[in-house]
Amino acid sequence: MSEKYTESLEKGYTPINITSELSRCMLCLDAPCSKECPAGTNPAKFIRSARFRNFKGAATTIRLNNALGSICARVCPTEKYCQKGCVRAGLDDPIDIGRIQRYITDQEEKLNMQILKKGPANGKKVAIVGSGPSALQASASLAVMGYKVKVYEKESKLGGYLRYGIPTYRLPNQVLDKEIQRIKDLDVEFITNTKVGETISMEQLKKENDAVIVAIGYSYGKKLPMFNSLDNVEVATDFLKRVKEADGNVELPSNILVIGGGDVAMDVVTTCKILGVKNVTDVVYEEFDEFRASKKELEAAQKLGVSIIDGYKPIEVSDKNVVFAHRKIDALLKIKADLIILAIGQYQGNDTLGVDFDKNEAVTLDEYRTSDPKVFVCGDIAKGDKTVVCAVKKGKEVAAAIDTLLEGDK
Amino acid sequence: MMKKDLSIEFCGVKFPNPFCLSASPVGNCYDMCKKAYDTGWGGIVFKTIGFFIADEVSPRFDILNKEDTPFVGFKNMEQIAEHPLEDNLRDIARLKKEYPDRVLISSIMGANEKEWEELARLSEKAGADMLELNFSCPQMTSHAMGSDVGSSPELCRKYCAAARRGSKLPIIAKMTPNITDMCEVAIASLEGGANAISAINTVKSITNLDLDKYIGMPIVNGKSSISGYSGKAVKPIALRFIQQMRMNEKLKNVPISGIGGIETWEDALEFILLGSSNLQVTTSIMQYGYRVVEDMKDGLLHYMEDNNIEKLSDLVGRANDNIIPAEQLDRTYKVYPNIDLDKCVGCGRCVISCYDGAHQAMEWDEEKRQPKCNHDKCVGCLLCGLVCPVGAISKGEVKFKPNRSNGRKEKDIIL
Repeated sequence: MSEKYTESLEKGYTPINITSELSRCMLCLDAPCSKECPAGTNPAKFIRSARFRNFKGAATTIRLNNALGSICARVCPTEKYCQKGCVRAGLDDPIDIGRIQRYITDQEEKLNMQILKKGPANGKKVAIVGSGPSALQASASLAVMGYKVKVYEKESKLGGYLRYGIPTYRLPNQVLDKEIQRIKDLDVEFITNTKVGETISMEQLKKENDAVIVAIGYSYGKKLPMFNSLDNVEVATDFLKRVKEADGNVELPSNILVIGGGDVAMDVVTTCKILGVKNVTDVVYEEFDEFRASKKELEAAQKLGVSIIDGYKPIEVSDKNVVFAHRKIDALLKIKADLIILAIGQYQGNDTLGVDFDKNEAVTLDEYRTSDPKVFVCGDIAKGDKTVVCAVKKGKEVAAAIDTLLEGDK
Repeated sequence: MMKKDLSIEFCGVKFPNPFCLSASPVGNCYDMCKKAYDTGWGGIVFKTIGFFIADEVSPRFDILNKEDTPFVGFKNMEQIAEHPLEDNLRDIARLKKEYPDRVLISSIMGANEKEWEELARLSEKAGADMLELNFSCPQMTSHAMGSDVGSSPELCRKYCAAARRGSKLPIIAKMTPNITDMCEVAIASLEGGANAISAINTVKSITNLDLDKYIGMPIVNGKSSISGYSGKAVKPIALRFIQQMRMNEKLKNVPISGIGGIETWEDALEFILLGSSNLQVTTSIMQYGYRVVEDMKDGLLHYMEDNNIEKLSDLVGRANDNIIPAEQLDRTYKVYPNIDLDKCVGCGRCVISCYDGAHQAMEWDEEKRQPKCNHDKCVGCLLCGLVCPVGAISKGEVKFKPNRSNGRKEKDIIL
């Protein structure tokens, strides 16, 4: 049961079939794929490099732009970004850019390339609270610019949602570990089991550093009050964390109801199916044409046999039963389940830092500043999309904002 | 049902179809040849026999790839037969006895006149229908044999005469492409007594190098050699030599067996249209097996049916008159590209190639992602049409150069 969970759901390319996928690329003029990535990925350039057998050059293009290149290759909903613009789609199917990026970053690792180099020390220090994707990217970007960076993580392991949220079949721990190792090689210091606001104070971080980035994420899953009376309800993020930490070795009932239709919900239902749960029913508020989850994840879930029912919201619960009503038509749906998992969103939920988070929503994205001049925000708590690729974008931007500010001090 | 007939006569010998194995690894013994006949090949040129017995290297082949296409070209280091001469003669006799309606050609190679004469005699005695004199193997370990011979008109004349003394069978002289002018050698061969020409044998080559070891491929204990290159990549070279022979006064009617990269019925037809009345194949068999002949034959039959061609010989040489010297081509007009914007997917490859490889005429609408041809700059080279990955660019408007229409209309030009 656990082997399937830890095995990659999607196979990587071999040296033979990467060649045929690369050959499908039309090598466009002014390639649209390279204009669609929030993190500024340039697939047109790295695919062309690989097509002309310059795999090291391809890896360099990816890595210089993105410290999480091999993670994004695996988890990015590319159909919403680079692949959306792919000209090849006008002929048959878009190029599988994510899978190509995965092959190239795998080569980077096999060849033990060290592409990112830490910059000459500028004598300035930055502390980062949290070690999720935006924190990792920000730490790498700052280290490359010559900053001394210290990352504080409340959990025992690094990576935030990458570690505790995204299932192993999509993102193996070794890939994450390797990515973090590359950042450690830039002399970024990581401190685990340390909750800022409890173990160490925000004031102290501000005193010791030139800037502090708060990237604590949306770590807590939302609940609906009507489910408070039930004892068979679990929040999606808790469920994913529980399964991942046990490498999939968990006992699950044979009938699970999931509520929610985002990428987290898709991870939950797919995980359940992979772990052998017979009946997995996902009831979603949105209808299919307004679905939030990536199409790839949705299709993977449906292929595994998850029943996805769209357009319903819960109206009543009793014992193990949930009654849903359709949002538009006169229809009721009653489902009895042994376990109910709520995947209806996350929230930030940390008020021990004394940071004015609300201020951020009001300021422009490229500044990432709070009302405290030394404190910046990044990741899910900063304005913008909450995907890994957007976390990378924000990580790069917050690093640039800090550099502009601190270098401007001189 | 198709009623067309693929049978054709070559040097007075009737072939049930023009497709033959060429003298190579694919026709190396009785079992292989039997399977080839059973699969439908019209004839076989048995792998070259001689008193010389080959001692081969391992490995002995290499391929050239382009992007995801393997076997664009094939490199082969095998020489002539590695079985004893008497075994080969016995196989030839047995095959001829069991397949009397199929053609068996004995390919021979001697080191001197005496050997050529004797091999011709032995082949006829074994029952071969024809002889092919191998003047062209580029990887022989003896310089008295192979393509060194094939580049000397004197030796070709002399050895043809020797083979003629040994046999009355029709003689084909097999040409090497490792030469500037094939006609001189072909004429000398005919003068010596050959009845037909086969072309081409393989092209001397180095396909790839191992970049870590600095050695050519394939590696034979740390070294490699120049050897023969074949397959699709050499087809244009073969067609050129055949056409040049057809344009030579002394060779315009000589029977030609065409060889070089034949993989489809279309390849085969090109050789026929340029004057080949017999065809030989190896590389596509090495990659895909004897079964390739099924679609070569069937595809050719469909073509004949569609074009109302009664017999294959009606197609032989039909294109020869349409290949003319460059100085005689019509240079009075240009053809503009016709861009089908419904088919265009907006990749912009035509724009890149026109700018970097032609005359900067293809303009790009960044908003719409559409190309547009600027006729003031366009010279009508049509590189754009060749690079378009979706076939959206075809030949469009014909425009005569100033004062050169000479009373002709656009429609008078054959595009």
